[in-house]
Amino acid sequence: MTPQSRIAAVAAPLVLILLWQLACLSGAFPAQVLVPPSEVARTLAALASSGELERHIGESMFRLGLGYVIGALAGLAFGATIALSRWAEAAFGPFFLALWQVPVIAFVPMLVIFLGIDEPFKVAIVILAAFFPIALATFDGVRGVPRTWFEVARVYRTRLPDLVWRILIPATVPAVLTGLRLALTRAWVVLIAAELLAADSGIGQMMEMGRQMFRIDVVLAGVVVSGVIGFALDRGAKAVERRATRWRTA
Amino acid sequence: MFPDVRSRPPAEAKAAARGALTISDLDKSFTIAGAPRAVLDGVNLTVKPGEFISIVGASGCGKSTLLRLIVGLDAEYSGEIRLDGERIATTSLDRGIVFQDHRLFPWMTLGQNIELALLNTDTPKARRAQIVADHIALVNLQGFETAYPHQLSGGMAQRAAIARALVTEPKLLLLDEPLGALDALTRVHVQNELQRIWMAQRSTMIMVTHDVEEALYLGDRVVVMSPNPGRIRRIVDVDLPHPRDRSAPLLHRLKDEILAELTARPADPANLVRLPGREER
Repeated sequence: MTPQSRIAAVAAPLVLILLWQLACLSGAFPAQVLVPPSEVARTLAALASSGELERHIGESMFRLGLGYVIGALAGLAFGATIALSRWAEAAFGPFFLALWQVPVIAFVPMLVIFLGIDEPFKVAIVILAAFFPIALATFDGVRGVPRTWFEVARVYRTRLPDLVWRILIPATVPAVLTGLRLALTRAWVVLIAAELLAADSGIGQMMEMGRQMFRIDVVLAGVVVSGVIGFALDRGAKAVERRATRWRTA
Repeated sequence: MFPDVRSRPPAEAKAAARGALTISDLDKSFTIAGAPRAVLDGVNLTVKPGEFISIVGASGCGKSTLLRLIVGLDAEYSGEIRLDGERIATTSLDRGIVFQDHRLFPWMTLGQNIELALLNTDTPKARRAQIVADHIALVNLQGFETAYPHQLSGGMAQRAAIARALVTEPKLLLLDEPLGALDALTRVHVQNELQRIWMAQRSTMIMVTHDVEEALYLGDRVVVMSPNPGRIRRIVDVDLPHPRDRSAPLLHRLKDEILAELTARPADPANLVRLPGREER
């Protein structure tokens, strides 16, 4: 990033917050409906110092971590299977692509009936959200390995374990990492939404409670926190992606 | 039984024991849109150990297909391809190939790419690094061991691919238009390198190219092929010792001859442009 673009990246949100604050000060909207940013910041500080925010973030992150790992492993395995086996692709491909078109949130009512609104439900929703993009990226990644690279392996009579570890996996890493990154932020968004709908703790539940008690400042504090965490997750995943694919032409 | 080693330098005596290729009555056809289409038709060629053969011809004359058959990437053919008496049915570390695109793996360094070729050999692990270093030196890429392919120029990447192909010490090295994607100056440079490498290694080499000058500069013999289906049209002996001088009159005379042969062929009805309405009278 150039210094100018760095300044712009900070200045634009600051200007927006300033306009927001000015709109509140103008008195055109009731203070309870349009909460000023200063109030949101105060609430955020209070939530943080009471330890409440930390608890909600911890709960959400735990669900995200557990569900994401399970969903990613399942997605990798499934994507690789349908990419490598024509039979598996024929059997599960269309079904998978049809399910992929269903918003993950649409599974909430059914999952709530089966799993209740406790941890298993929220972990399951994260698993679902992570599974699809990762399976699809893995499928594309494995299918996208050029035939010519297999020919090189045949010429040098590379053994299967070497073919898998040294050629097949590195060749699919860029596509799979992109899928892992997209799945991570997607899973985070879906988790917050699910917590809004049905939960007893977590960032989404904190926001839902705020809404019910007409504490818009708490709702907005939740918006800020989920946005910042989502942004940090994406940045972190991008950094991992760049490090792992340094060999690529920049 | 009684090899006469006195009359030859030792390196050549060693090479003489290996890398003899015989191709007899080779036919190959592909099925295109349900109909078989002959790509190679009645190819016969005997390559002496340590010989450098160039193959030239218009595109579609099956020269790349021929190399794929020899290297063993395609085993469906009729006729015989034998290396030192053994029929070729699959790939082998006895036969190396350099493709037009270098096909180095982008996530491996130059050293790792070359070492990959040694993975399925019984070369002791301790010796591998030395062998890789020797071959990097052979193609003059010292100092680039840890470079990634995207950091190499086209000519360097192609030399690296040559090093990878030679690291298993194949009896026979196949070169499928290895210099086709290089600019003119780099091309001349890598041609010189290739000649030097071949003189140092003395393994049998077969290079496909569509550059007649290149074919003559490097080849002991130049096989001229004609397309549809691919046939050997003529084999030209280039009776000049290596290293060669590019300005040798013989090379220029042969070049004119081969070019005339490749361009001024009798009109083949299949290749005529048919104008609409004139098909039938």
